[in-house]
Amino acid sequence: MAPRSSAASSSRATRLVPSVQAGPSRLPTTSQSSKKRAAEVVEEDGDSEDEDFGINGDGLELSGDEADEDDVSDDDEDEFPELDSGSEDGEEQEDEADEESASEIVDQEDTGSESGYNSSDIDAMYDSSPSTSLPPSPSSSTKPLSADEKLSKLISKHSIKPDDSIGAEGKISQAKDGKGVLRPSKLVPGGYKREYEDVEAGYGSESSTEENPNTVGNIPMEWYDDLPHIGYDVNGRKIFRPAKGDELDKFLSNVEDPKAWMSVEDKALQQQVQLTDKELDIIRRLERAENPDADFDPYQPTIEWFTGKGMERQMPLSAAPEPKRRFVPSKWEHQKVMKIVKAIREGRIVPNAPRATKPAVYGIWSDADKPNVEHAMYMPAPQLPPPKTKESYNPPEEYLPSEQEKKEWEELEKEDRKEDFLPQKYDALRLVPGYKNMVQEKFERCLDLYLAPRTRRVKLNIDPESLIPKLPSPRELRPFPIVSSVQYRHPGDTRVRGISVNPTGEWVASGSEDGIVRLWDLGNGREVWTWNLKAGAIQHVEWSPNKEEAMLVALVQGKVVVLSPLWLASPSVAAATLEHANNAFASSSATTKIGAGKEVKGVEAIKWVRPSESERERGVLVHVEVPGTPKQVAWHRKGDYFATVSIEAANKSVLIHQLSKHATQSPFRKTNGTVQRVAFHPLKPWFFAATQRYVRLYDLAGQKLIKTLQTGLKWISSMDVHPMGDNLIVGSYDKKLAWFDMDLSNKPFKTLRYHSRALRSVAYHPTLPLFASASDDGTIHIFHATVYTDLMQNPLIVPLKILRGHKITEGLGVLDLRWHPEKPWLVSSGSDGEVRLWCS
Amino acid sequence: MAKIKRRGESGAAKNYTTRNQALKKLQISLSDFRRLCILKGIYPREPLNKKKANKGSSAPASFYYQKDIQYLLHEPLLVKFREHKAFAKKLARAVGRGEWGLAKNLEDAKPVARLDHLVKERYPTFTLALQDLQDPLNLVHLFSTLPTNPIPGKTLVPSAVIAECSRLISEWKVWAIRTHSLRRMFLGVKGVYYECAVPGQGGETVPVRWLEGYEFQQHVPPDVDFRILLTFLELYRTLLAFVMFKLYTEENLVYPPPLDVELDERGESVGAFRLVERKEDAPASAPAKVSRKEVKRAIQGIKAGGPIEEEDVEMEADAVPADTATEEEDFVERPTKAAEVDDVAPAPLTTYNSLLATSSTASSSKTLLFSPYTFYLSRETSSRTWEFVVRALGGRVITSLSASTPDASAEADRITHVLIDRPMTSERIREMQGARKWVWVQPQWVADCVNRNKIISAEEYGPGKLLPPHLSPWDGEGELARPWLEEEKAAEEAKVDEVDEEVEAIAEDEEDEEDEDEDDEDEESQAEEDESSSYPPALLAASLDPSNAALLRAAELEAERNGTTHATFRTQLKEATKANSSKKEVSKSPAANKDEDLRKIMMSNKKSKLYEKIKYSNRQKADEEANLQRKRAEVEKRKRKEARSAGLGKA
Repeated sequence: MAPRSSAASSSRATRLVPSVQAGPSRLPTTSQSSKKRAAEVVEEDGDSEDEDFGINGDGLELSGDEADEDDVSDDDEDEFPELDSGSEDGEEQEDEADEESASEIVDQEDTGSESGYNSSDIDAMYDSSPSTSLPPSPSSSTKPLSADEKLSKLISKHSIKPDDSIGAEGKISQAKDGKGVLRPSKLVPGGYKREYEDVEAGYGSESSTEENPNTVGNIPMEWYDDLPHIGYDVNGRKIFRPAKGDELDKFLSNVEDPKAWMSVEDKALQQQVQLTDKELDIIRRLERAENPDADFDPYQPTIEWFTGKGMERQMPLSAAPEPKRRFVPSKWEHQKVMKIVKAIREGRIVPNAPRATKPAVYGIWSDADKPNVEHAMYMPAPQLPPPKTKESYNPPEEYLPSEQEKKEWEELEKEDRKEDFLPQKYDALRLVPGYKNMVQEKFERCLDLYLAPRTRRVKLNIDPESLIPKLPSPRELRPFPIVSSVQYRHPGDTRVRGISVNPTGEWVASGSEDGIVRLWDLGNGREVWTWNLKAGAIQHVEWSPNKEEAMLVALVQGKVVVLSPLWLASPSVAAATLEHANNAFASSSATTKIGAGKEVKGVEAIKWVRPSESERERGVLVHVEVPGTPKQVAWHRKGDYFATVSIEAANKSVLIHQLSKHATQSPFRKTNGTVQRVAFHPLKPWFFAATQRYVRLYDLAGQKLIKTLQTGLKWISSMDVHPMGDNLIVGSYDKKLAWFDMDLSNKPFKTLRYHSRALRSVAYHPTLPLFASASDDGTIHIFHATVYTDLMQNPLIVPLKILRGHKITEGLGVLDLRWHPEKPWLVSSGSDGEVRLWCS
Repeated sequence: MAKIKRRGESGAAKNYTTRNQALKKLQISLSDFRRLCILKGIYPREPLNKKKANKGSSAPASFYYQKDIQYLLHEPLLVKFREHKAFAKKLARAVGRGEWGLAKNLEDAKPVARLDHLVKERYPTFTLALQDLQDPLNLVHLFSTLPTNPIPGKTLVPSAVIAECSRLISEWKVWAIRTHSLRRMFLGVKGVYYECAVPGQGGETVPVRWLEGYEFQQHVPPDVDFRILLTFLELYRTLLAFVMFKLYTEENLVYPPPLDVELDERGESVGAFRLVERKEDAPASAPAKVSRKEVKRAIQGIKAGGPIEEEDVEMEADAVPADTATEEEDFVERPTKAAEVDDVAPAPLTTYNSLLATSSTASSSKTLLFSPYTFYLSRETSSRTWEFVVRALGGRVITSLSASTPDASAEADRITHVLIDRPMTSERIREMQGARKWVWVQPQWVADCVNRNKIISAEEYGPGKLLPPHLSPWDGEGELARPWLEEEKAAEEAKVDEVDEEVEAIAEDEEDEEDEDEDDEDEESQAEEDESSSYPPALLAASLDPSNAALLRAAELEAERNGTTHATFRTQLKEATKANSSKKEVSKSPAANKDEDLRKIMMSNKKSKLYEKIKYSNRQKADEEANLQRKRAEVEKRKRKEARSAGLGKA
């Protein structure tokens, strides 16, 4: 890289030189050149041979390649191989150079003095210093030098070290002193001219005068940091790094040398350079932010060139004659002025006349005016209402506020008051004082007018009764339960959690918290049978829907008990019941199926157990031991399967039991949330499971989820499916009842909120268009609900009746309700230990 | 494909802009914006959904309709505001540099904002302007009563503004007197309310109501921003002036009416204005538009001394030129007081009294309520109020200015009524009126007469007497049935003829007769009531609430008074109670009630809330009414008791 760049720089030099030559080359032939040049020529003739010589040498050195091309091209080719490229570059100038080879030397001198080319200056300096020491040689500068001479000069230049004794500074000072020699001018005959010595480019000149022994060129020296050499000399040989001691040597030398502090490293030369006093002075000045030139005088006296006495400018800037318009008045202006004058005279223009303005008031409205079309966004401010009698200075006495009303008025915030004054009675008009708040009131009105946001409010002038929906009268929808006709009293007012009416409508079974399942005659309220299960509170009882059998299921903690009033039922029914329940005992041991479709034998938690002999005599048919506490049982319509829901049983909370085979299966491997209620679809093999917030509908045959109903309730408490199977009611502990039309949506068709406490039970009538809901507020609401087969028609729901009668004990009201299978009768159980039959 | 809807590009987000956005858009200061809003009648809106209007932010902001702001961009007033700003800068600079000449020139060319285009813009028809005249009249009246030499730092109202306000309100009243358009008035605790019927566009009549405070120094609270009030007033003054111009022009009068300085200084209120009729040849509808030519002509006219285009109706011929020199058709300058004194004082002045006597409208005044009467206003009555009212209804007024007592007046014989608001002994009355028959009344009598539009008997309104209650003429549906008032009215109706024939001849003996009549009528009405409801009211009340001992007592007392025996009273009470309870049962039969309750179950949430709201407000109203009813019953009871005890005392 380095050699390439140095070659480039030299080639650049060669290229530049001829272009500079072009002008001065005509000097001897033309007389138009400057005086200076002439003087130089004169000097050349005279005493300054040394200069010429130097300049010549300079020229030779610089344009060495050209010289090669002219004269010594063959000889030097080997010596300066790197210049080849330069010579090629400069070929275009060859012809010119040939023509003017004679005047070349003069040209070179010119370039030296006038063009600011660096290398020439430097070289000139090298040359000048020996020239001062040498005696002036008689040889003429104009004489062309031979190639040998050129070569020898070149060698000598490189061998001689420049002497600094006079150097650039001396020359500058000479130039400054104005030493010159008066000589007769060559160009002007008879004239003299002071001629100065040529100023060598010194320190002050733009070109650097430092001696530059660096031959590697102006390259970043760090390129060679890793190499032993620092570049290449002119012959392409490596220039090795000067020997440098290690850090210790450096330190020692620093300690030893008292002048070490004033030396700096010259990177290009890779050596320590001692700073001169002058340079140190410059550094000091720069440090003090002064002008680095010691001789610079910042407070020079001003020289007045053009101001002051006698220095004024005498001559005009323009010699053009003064235009006429400067001294002749304008005709056009005159015309314009006259126009105005005329207007004033005629009175068309009245000076300082009041401007003709619109009158302050004028007829702004006419009968033809039309009001703007009223825009929806136009809201005029409401007018102030007219004063009422209350405001009278002498109102009727009933308007006067009582003491209490006065106090109330005064205690109210100013904004909350209905009127901003208290009615008062004065005996005579003269006694009425001034109203204190007048300004305030008007101010507030103004604020209202521009600051109060306005909005359009439709003034509802409707009869509130018209908001109540039009529904058929309950009278038209008879029959429905109205009165409580029979009461089935439980001893000790124990809570009756579950009741059930048998499918023929003869008996009511009730399960109370004292652990006894009682069987009552529906019509007369006599207790006809009891089973004391002795296993804690009865959670739920449910009759099998099969009319050919008399069988009910009661739930106690950890057990599902199948019961039958064998001795009350007809013999055929009793036989069928026994056959159905005990068939499996004969065939095999108890089987439990866990997980849909997978049969798992011998799961110890669920066991079908044959009760003891004495129990069997009482009519207890089967025990099914299940995990957790079963809370609800739902029968399949055919009376063989029933499902139980228990709490604290994790994934085995929902179990489906098959009575004929004594088999149990758990349909869900895991449940999303705790299941609250389950129900079988009345027509299809579908299964409803209600968790806290959702009701999920599963297809048992296909073993998949069909639908998830989003109830919007917080906690479902009860659920019942319409006998047609398309509608569902869900009651919740958050006092709401949701009616789902499953064909319509998975969101409730209607959500009703009429109970003041949590709903405990909801039930559709199996045959009639009725449903009821029971709540902790002690009431039972009876509704009429017609479901149409037409899909386009919404179910008709009509509230019919509120049945009151159950007492609320410990925050619990009616716990369960059931409809009679055929008649519009309702059986309800309460926390007060009563079961009631409601008849129409 | 349908255009894609983007958020914030339509609907509320586009329709509304917040105040700060509006300010940024209009590039004006908040105070300028406020002025602009007041003058242009632009008000913030309450969007249905604030969040949508505020581009999703729920930060509180006041919203303006986007188009309102858009229109404001081209408002000429805005240009004037900017001009004024530049002018203020220039003036301050000139004054600061001491360039008085320049400052004077600038001051002469001061940009003045005119609001007439706003008046037309806000009230496209005259009727609309009249309908919105309530606030302007109220505010202008309020300002006319503000102290003219305000406590420094309290009000910043220039006295010129106050003077203009009082002139405007007086002009309004002069017009009302002239056209006899006062319809109702009401003496409230806040002041006097008046209502005038003003003919609007196309023959429809617009009632205009306004409030005048009593003549006391106004209390000016410290937190009232008078800059806002003055901005409103600026608009209202302009509006009133234009309305008045229209009204005066339609009456063929010159607007503004010249003020009679002498009378004004003597303390005449509305009487100080002279109404000047326009000359016949001057087209009545001319002022509808003012052409350039007319303006030019007018200027020329001023220079040339002016052709006389109109004349004072009552003026003598020699007085005419002097008077009308300054009054041009459309450029009627209100003469300064000094000029007026110089010009007019030598000529015999015409006051409204004389005008009324001869004016063309006087013929119709015969049918007016007070036209046959002359009122003397005692000095404690507000002549500003009563002179206006009496004159507006055709009466003549002698104020205490001309005579300190009625008998000292030159026209004492013409006086028919003396309006007095202080107790007077009958001796003093007799002494003053001598042989003349004057009706001495308190001012409320006039107000009640105006509201009922007939002359009512004056004996209850005598000086120093306890007055019957003064009712609001606008209180319609909220008003309780007041049978005693109805009776009175009936009685008065019967006597109206007599009163009309000889008002002076209301003597004391007649009063007695009336009392007797009233008593008779009372009994009659009670009998009627008995027939209708078969039970006296107190008994009815007691039967309604059998547990209330006070009511029971009242019923007993009533029975005693009626002369029924205790036994019959008991049976009556039982019957009444039974009847009432059965009625209650009928009205609140459980089936019907529950039916209603049950149907409510099926109401949607929204409707049930609305239903509850309506029910609540209805109940509130009913409660209020019941409260009034109850109080009234109590008052009546107390009065009866007092009357009885007084009667017993006498006996």
